[in-house]
This record gives sequence, C-alpha cells and structure tokens, in this order.
Amino acid sequence: MTATWRIALTLLLSLIVIVGSALTAPVEAQPAYPTRPVEIIVAYAPGGAADVAARLVAAYASKKWGQPVNVVNMPGASGITGTLRAIGARPDGYTLLLDPHSSSAMLFAVESDVPFKMDGKTPIALLTLDPVVYTVKEDSPWKSLKDVAAAAKADPKTFRYGIAGVAGIASFSVSQFLYSAGVPIAETNRVVFTGGAPTVTALAGGHVDFAGQQWSESAGLIQGRKIRGLAVVHPTRLPGLAEVPTAKEAGFPDLDVVGWQGLAGPPKLPAAVVQKWTALLEEASKDPHAFWQFQQDELKKYLPLATRMGIRK
Amino acid sequence: MDTLGFLAHGFAQALTPQNLMFAFIGSVLGTLVGVLPGIGPTSGIAILLPLTGFLPPAPAIIMLAAIYYGAMYGGSTTAILVNIPGEVASVVTTLDGYQMARQGRAGPALAIAAISSFVAGTLGLVGLTFFAPPLADVALRIGPPEYFGLVVLAFSVVVSLSGPSLVKGLSAAALGALVALIGLDPMSGVRRFAFGTATLLSGVDFIAVIIGLFAVTEVLVGVEEAVGAVSLAPLGRLMPRWDELKACVGTMLRATGVGFFLGLLPGCTPGAISFISYDIEKRVSKTPERFGHGAIEGVAAPEGANNATTSGGFVPLFALGIPATPALAVLLSGLMIYGLQPGPLLFEKQPLFVWTVIASMYIGNVMLLILNLPLVGLWARMVRIPYAVMAPLILIFSVLGAYSVRNSFFDVAMALVFGVLGYLMVKLAYPTPPLVLALILTPMLESALRQSLNMAHGSASIFATRPIAILFIGLGIALTVWTLLSRRRR
Repeated sequence: MTATWRIALTLLLSLIVIVGSALTAPVEAQPAYPTRPVEIIVAYAPGGAADVAARLVAAYASKKWGQPVNVVNMPGASGITGTLRAIGARPDGYTLLLDPHSSSAMLFAVESDVPFKMDGKTPIALLTLDPVVYTVKEDSPWKSLKDVAAAAKADPKTFRYGIAGVAGIASFSVSQFLYSAGVPIAETNRVVFTGGAPTVTALAGGHVDFAGQQWSESAGLIQGRKIRGLAVVHPTRLPGLAEVPTAKEAGFPDLDVVGWQGLAGPPKLPAAVVQKWTALLEEASKDPHAFWQFQQDELKKYLPLATRMGIRK
Repeated sequence: MDTLGFLAHGFAQALTPQNLMFAFIGSVLGTLVGVLPGIGPTSGIAILLPLTGFLPPAPAIIMLAAIYYGAMYGGSTTAILVNIPGEVASVVTTLDGYQMARQGRAGPALAIAAISSFVAGTLGLVGLTFFAPPLADVALRIGPPEYFGLVVLAFSVVVSLSGPSLVKGLSAAALGALVALIGLDPMSGVRRFAFGTATLLSGVDFIAVIIGLFAVTEVLVGVEEAVGAVSLAPLGRLMPRWDELKACVGTMLRATGVGFFLGLLPGCTPGAISFISYDIEKRVSKTPERFGHGAIEGVAAPEGANNATTSGGFVPLFALGIPATPALAVLLSGLMIYGLQPGPLLFEKQPLFVWTVIASMYIGNVMLLILNLPLVGLWARMVRIPYAVMAPLILIFSVLGAYSVRNSFFDVAMALVFGVLGYLMVKLAYPTPPLVLALILTPMLESALRQSLNMAHGSASIFATRPIAILFIGLGIALTVWTLLSRRRR
C-alpha cells in the first residue's frame, strides 16, 4: 500500500472526523429507516470533490442498509440550485444534501442575499477534509512562501495568481496569504478559472505565478514535478508530499483555509434519521453541534476576508 | 523496455477474460449512454464509480474508459435517425446525417459514423501510445490568450454555417451568445439576466437547448407536414459504397488530426471541435454545396473528430493528471480512489496498469466497431416507423433527456421553449447551428478574454506577446474574410 493510496483513502473515504449526535439514543421505538431509496443531492457537477464524497458515502450506506442511496447532481448557480431543492424537501430523511465548504460557509461570506438561510439545514456530519496547498510553477525562482510574499510586495502589478471561482476556496486561501504578507491585493492580477483543475493547469503552464488550491487538485502535478508545493495548511506534513512544509513551518502560522465536505438535511430532520446516519458514519462521535459549530466558525473566518477583498456583495 | 514492449505487455493483460469482459461491458454501456440524449458519459461514469469499491483497478478503469469512448459511438445514432444529438459532440452530425436518413441512406450514414469513429479513435490511440508525455507539455503552453485565439477561429465557422442569409445566421449566433450569458458571471459572480430567480441563476443548460432546437422542433415540423415516417425511401444498401468510403479517407485523417490535437487541450470542448472539423471538410471539399444536404463526409468528419478528441484527452489525463472534459474528471477521481495519481510518475511506477488500460482501448474500439456495424440494419429500419408512433417517442425521450442532465424541470421547460423557437426559426429560414455554436463558444470566449486581460493588468497588449494566439486570431479573421468574399462572388 503506497503513501498516495493511504492518503487518498484517509482523505476521501475514512476521514469522517466529526460525527453529530450519536451518543444520546432515544428510548422509544424508532420507525424503520430507510424503507425506500434515499437521495443525496450534490449541488455540483459529477466528478468534483463533493460528488465523489457523496458517491462513496452512498455506496457504503447502500451496502450496509440494503436500500439504494442515490446521488443526484443538480449543479448550477454556485450550488444554490441544488441546496434549495434539498432544503425544500420533506424532512423525512429521504432527501439529503452534500454540504461542502463553498455553498455553506464561503457563499455566505461573499453574498449578502443568499436565497436560503445558513441555519436552514439540519447538519448531520462532516465527511472529509481537503487541505489547501500553496503552489508555484516547478521552475519558479520563488523557493518559499516568504519569497512569494517579498516578490508580490515589491511589484504587485506584475504578480499573477489563479483562483477557481469567486466563492471558491482559493479566493480565500490566496487572499488570506496576501493579506498576512501585507501585499496590496487590489493591485495584483487575479485570474479566475472555472475550476481547480484548470487553475493548477494554468500554473503548470506558466500562465499564472501562484495558486492555493486543495490537496486533491494539486498533489498530482506536484508529484509529477510540474508545480512545486510551498506550504500545506495542515498541522503536519502530508504523506506523499513530505518535502512540502506546513504553513507554520513556512512562517505563516495564521493560514487556516481548508476544504471540506459534509452531509446535511432539510430543517427539522428527525433525530432518529440523524442518528441512523451518524451511527453509520460510526468512526468518531464528538460534540453534537460540532459540524454546525464548524460551519459558523468558517463563516467568521471568511466574512472579514471577503469584505476586505471587496468581493462581498 | 521500449514503448512497443510495454504495449505488448499491456495487450497480454488486457486480453485476459476478466479485462475483456469489462471492456465489453463498458463499450455496451457507453453505446447506450451515447444513444440516450441527456445521459452523457459524465453521468454514466459517475453512476458506476462506486463499483470501483468492488473491482481491482485495471478492470474498473478499463470499463469506465470504455463508457467514455463508447458514448462517442452511440451519440451519432439518434442524431442520424431522428435528428436528436445523443451528445453535444454529435450536434454537427445531425446536419448531414439526418438528411441522409431522410433520403433513405440511414444505413451508410450509421456505418460511416462507426467506421470513422473507429479509424480516428484508433489513430488517436497511436498518438497517445507514442507521444503522450511530450504532447502533454505542449498542451500546457496553451493558456488563456491562446484559447481566446482558438475561440475567435472557431467563431469564424458561424459565417459558413449561416446558409443563404448572413444576417439571419449572425442573428441566430447573437441569440445563442445572449442565452449563454444567463446566470452567474464566472469571473466575479455577478448575477446576469436572472430576474431575481434562483432558477435562471443556474443558467440555461445547452443540452436542453439542443434537445429543444433539434428534437422538439423536428416533431413540430414533422407533424405539420404530416409526414408518414422519417423516410419512406426504400431502405437501400446498409454499407457505404466503395467510392463513398474512399471519399471519406481524407476526411477521417483530417478529423483525426484536428480532433486529437485540439483534444489535448483541456478547456476545448468536443462540441466545438466537431464543428471545426466539419467546417474544414466543407472548405476543402470540391463540392461544398452538398454539405447540409446529405454529404457523407459531413458525418465522417464530426464523428471521427469526437473520437480522436477522446483519445487525445487521455494524454493530459495520464501524463499530467489533468482532465480535459468533465467525464475525464470523473474518471480521474476513479483513479484517485485507487491511489493511482496520474502524472509522469504513473508511467514509471505503474507501467503495467497504464499500458493495460491503453491496450484495452484499442480492443474496445474494435469491439465497438463489431458491435455497431451489425446494429446498423436494425437502427436503419427505425426510420420507417410511422411518425404517429415515432413523434411521441421522440418527445418522451426529449423530456427525459432534458430532465436528466440536472434533474430539473426548468430544463424541460427550456427544451420546450427552444422547441417552439426552433420551429419559428425553421419557418422564417433562420439556421439553428450558429445558435448552438455560439452557445458552446461564448462561455469559453468570455473566460479566455477576461483571464487574458487579468493576466496583463487589464492590457490587451498581452495578445501581441503570444505568437500562437496571434496566429489563431489571424487565421480566424482571414477565414471570415475569405468566406465573405466567396459568398459575394456567388
């Protein structure tokens, strides 16, 4: 078993770090669930991190429960379309939502009139984490995050960085870095791509100079020596990327933007359904409100950044 | 070991009964996914992705890859028989394929689609086999300014797709561009033409538009004309004549070149590539007036191009881990689940796996040819089905197809709206292909232009520093001028 295999497994499959209220099981008899197929709505196109997380969870649940758990993709409008559909469904546990960092916390930091409420969902569990990796082109003269900071500060008008979408992760990861480095962000060149893969591809081709995408999007090109990792936002170095220092080691201990995928349902989802799921995702069980708390903390982190960047509307 | 040695080892593995079986299952599923409008290879692969939990890596990836290239074979079937493109890449196939079917030449049209798919797909695989890592590096150098140039070049096709009236062609294209702008601005997230609704915010899906413009419109026109069936002409021969095949040899080779090289570029959609390939054939043909009226090269070109595109797309996927299309992105996540990180290291560390998958694609293409040719007779008979039976079936599949892309009734409504619009366009002699082309190209144009400007602090001088971009833009302008001049002369 290689290191890559291990990390893929850890991050995509079994990193079920926080599970909701699993400890307090009610005494009264529970109605059987699920007795018919369950739908998990993914508000993004097939193939993305959200989709893959949903499909792996769905496959596992189908196998365990003997009931089909289907993934339904409803992409569009930064995840708003699919989210609206899921939270408008009957709260019976047969329509759930794959709830990732972008459409839950980050969207609320960027948009002031999101057509649904952030607390208008029943949080179930946090499924996966996908740390940010700050990267430059393989033959870039910049050998560390400090080099990037110095160069961007010296000549912000020629500094080009790529991000994937306005309410996406890199909007926050890169601007957090630029702010903590004291770079005048309004003078830099922000090039927006349609996804994480096009962003790191443009970096590898030298069309932009800097990126801060997620591990799942960056690791391949780092290992293939097309781009170079300067720092990972994680307490420890990542297996498979042992030569990439942590943000703290790189001298930027405040960087904390991380990607994640969670599971949620419509408001007022019966506790029995939540428990059924959390029991299924049985790895760990912590604070009942951990996932909700986590989302709120995420918003607190992104709101000031979005305001300072001027992308809040 | 040299490339051929690796490939031989790959074949030895790919020919084991288990791997053969999964290549076959993938090919059949791919054909099916291609035939059904709305269910594209992306959802097809995504639905089967969890199976990776039960299979070893090689058979699973062999099967998922076969769904991808198999879908390109299937996409032409409904395009030719009933004017419904099964995939976006088959939109152009309807132009001449459906005309051939109406003339009682459904058999040769279906056969040439399969043969051209096979030839171009296989030649594309040869390119993948021998040149993957160096070509992938070339693809990386194509950035936003070059994509902008490429889109300008592709837009020049609008003029030649316009038919007799240039104004009508350009109006159709302008409408397509306008529809493409509905939704969230990709650069800054500004809401455009959404009128405060969440539904319009997600934009208009182009599959729904295509289903409306082609299938629904076709039914409306057909019902009005009280046609008895798609074609009442005698079924005739099922295989193309020898001289037709010979005429298509050059077409297939050119389609391979265009499809393979543009397919290398992540961000160049197969839909746009098949339009470009069709346009090239029309330009090099000595009898361009046959195009749009059942020219067999008009079927061979897009079908060949989209299969060569498929083979080309595996180059950046295997060599760099970059998915060129959404379907390949799903395949990439399949590889990642197995911990197989594509990239130069994959060829070094897992040579047997990579070469087994590549070898299986050669085998899969042969299987698809063998699978599709005997079906030609069966499919071709469908055009004789009475229209009273056919029309409702087309509508049912249109609604299902439009719904299944994003599981949205809004898309069904859009398909119907565009069906009526298409009907009006037919009645007023407005061509629909420019609308579709503009719909596909506009998002690319907008992103590429704005990304280029952002790269240079807002200065358009960036294009002057990029020779490949200048070349593409220059070619686009030259082709437009040339077409305009030759139109005037006529």
